[in-house]
Amino acid sequence: MRAAGLMLIVLLAAGTAGAQDYLDCHFVPGWEPSGAKRQYAADNLFEYKDGGAEGYLSFGFVRMQGITCASGGNTLDIDVSEMSDADSAYGMFAANLDSSQPVAKIGMGGQIQKQGATFAKGKYYVELVEVAANPDSDDTATMRAFAVKMLEHLEGRETPPAALEWFVKEDLASTRLVPESVLGLRELKRGYVAKYKQGQAILVQEESAEAAVSVMKSLKDRFAGATSVTVGDEGFQATAKYLDGICIFRKGKIVAGYANMPLAQDAAIQAAKLAARIP
Amino acid sequence: MAPKTSRRDFLSAGLMLPVASAGSKMGFWKPDETAGANTAGAKTPGSEVKLDYRVLGRTGLKVTTVGFGCMITSDGSVIERAADAGINYFDTARSYQHGNNERMVAAALGAKRKQIVLSTKTHAPDKAGMQQHLDQSLKELNTDYIDIWYLHARSNATEIHDDMIEAQQLAKQQGKIRFAGVSTHSGQKELIPWMVQKGVFDVVLAAYNFTMDAGMEQAIATAAKAGMGVVAMKVMAGGLRSVKPSDPMYQKLTQPGALLAALKWVVNKPNVATTIPSITDNDQLEENLKAMGSQLSAGDQKLLAAHLEMIRPVYCRLCGQCDGACQKGLPVADVLRFLTYADGYGQFALGRERFLELAAEHTAVRCGDCAECTVQCPHGVHVADRMARAQELFA
Repeated sequence: MRAAGLMLIVLLAAGTAGAQDYLDCHFVPGWEPSGAKRQYAADNLFEYKDGGAEGYLSFGFVRMQGITCASGGNTLDIDVSEMSDADSAYGMFAANLDSSQPVAKIGMGGQIQKQGATFAKGKYYVELVEVAANPDSDDTATMRAFAVKMLEHLEGRETPPAALEWFVKEDLASTRLVPESVLGLRELKRGYVAKYKQGQAILVQEESAEAAVSVMKSLKDRFAGATSVTVGDEGFQATAKYLDGICIFRKGKIVAGYANMPLAQDAAIQAAKLAARIP
Repeated sequence: MAPKTSRRDFLSAGLMLPVASAGSKMGFWKPDETAGANTAGAKTPGSEVKLDYRVLGRTGLKVTTVGFGCMITSDGSVIERAADAGINYFDTARSYQHGNNERMVAAALGAKRKQIVLSTKTHAPDKAGMQQHLDQSLKELNTDYIDIWYLHARSNATEIHDDMIEAQQLAKQQGKIRFAGVSTHSGQKELIPWMVQKGVFDVVLAAYNFTMDAGMEQAIATAAKAGMGVVAMKVMAGGLRSVKPSDPMYQKLTQPGALLAALKWVVNKPNVATTIPSITDNDQLEENLKAMGSQLSAGDQKLLAAHLEMIRPVYCRLCGQCDGACQKGLPVADVLRFLTYADGYGQFALGRERFLELAAEHTAVRCGDCAECTVQCPHGVHVADRMARAQELFA
């Protein structure tokens, strides 16, 4: 028993050391470490991200490791947040992306800017923030070079969550993971939301079809005047003050649908298209 | 030296304070019950909710005692619904989701902007950066003025430079903001009195909840007495949400009304004008609305007392009173934190790593060798037991 415990300690310690291989200022020539590596857990993240820690915690933050690099008069903070799973890491990236900038194929997704970058790979969400001596300098190449080298050292998935492919592509504006209460409804604990030119679609995966049935019943009870529709295995449509025309359906253990459409019938038409794309 | 108050004394005193301020005013909101309306969370459709208002210090702004922290809200419909319900104080920040939060708040509030008090924050390190942030916030929030503009998350006076104060004052003169404030999560007991002395801040946004000691109560009172508006955040103490199902108190602490009790505790503090609990869904919104104008019941007090009792032996409040108290020189608060990594968050490797970074003479200490522990935590943490556990786990 004691031997097993010791083995566990050794393995855990080794895992921690290995994880820091992705933090190296020498990934790009001319950069040197400035100060010691930093490390934060959920209970003390506020010491570093004071005022912003909750945003990380809501996406299943486990811990953060970081380093500051320096080159000439420029400094670069590199922080790698380990989230509970790859979907959460992607969710963190999607929640923080600059919607006016393109998303690049870096890991599951990334954005490279003049003096910073963000990307997600596996369960890791990475942030690069440069403070440049010349605030107008364009260091995109440096940011990209760091990102590319870090990708080689970070383990995990490089494809976005599969569920995002199920959303109808026509007029799609953005997708994101909502970590809690999709559409502001507590029953829809965690899921994806796609924004369209008009309205928004949701995808929530329950643990089982039985659990999804229960969620559907609870949701239907919320909306006065809800009427059944033939979408997926079961569905309903309604008109609500804040969600406008809405149609929610279940297909197996997936609860999905449309909201904020002009009419409930419009939501039902779109929901049928979505249902057809869900395997 | 701060007076040593036992946790139980503090709890008793805190829970028996008079309810609501004499200056509070009431209004009413009736949940929408029209056919087809989204009655999400309205357990008693048609029932009226009392709206309770207080004046936010010298700003003169009349705010509902329950406001809305937008930081982790992911659907604008909840914000829209809250504004319709009568909540009139909404808080966001430039840094929340890299500005995406401000954009969502603007879209949700829409035409109601002029009827509500809107605050945002900047974490920029200098005047130029702050001005850039302010212009960006105005653009994202789709407004030509911010009601309260906070310096974001300052822990001590050295983090507030003169040029930052200049930036706030200039923004006031330009009409871009109405009032200047500071948000703070730590070091508050020193920072708030400094802010009062400085005399240039209209509002303080402070972390304040039922787990805090009497020193914080004093700091809040000092600010209110000086005419500074007090807005409370972290009012749910976080901990109520982090209770694990395996805990024997789980059922009790997660029962309906537990979070409401924590909110009521703050709302019933007369020196606090408003609160900004994070609200993610309609049910939570409905529940929070009930905190306005309602007294802290005996049941609420029992719930909060149970929570404090649960966390008392292990929960370090970082008050610093154990600094230098260990006869062997152990940095007690640090070791408690490392133990929390392992016990509280399942991060054994991280806890051990941090523990082993301590000086060799500290990692070599075995608390069992001392006949008596010289560290007496004023908040009831069983220090000797916790240190021994850390040594057993990590050393």
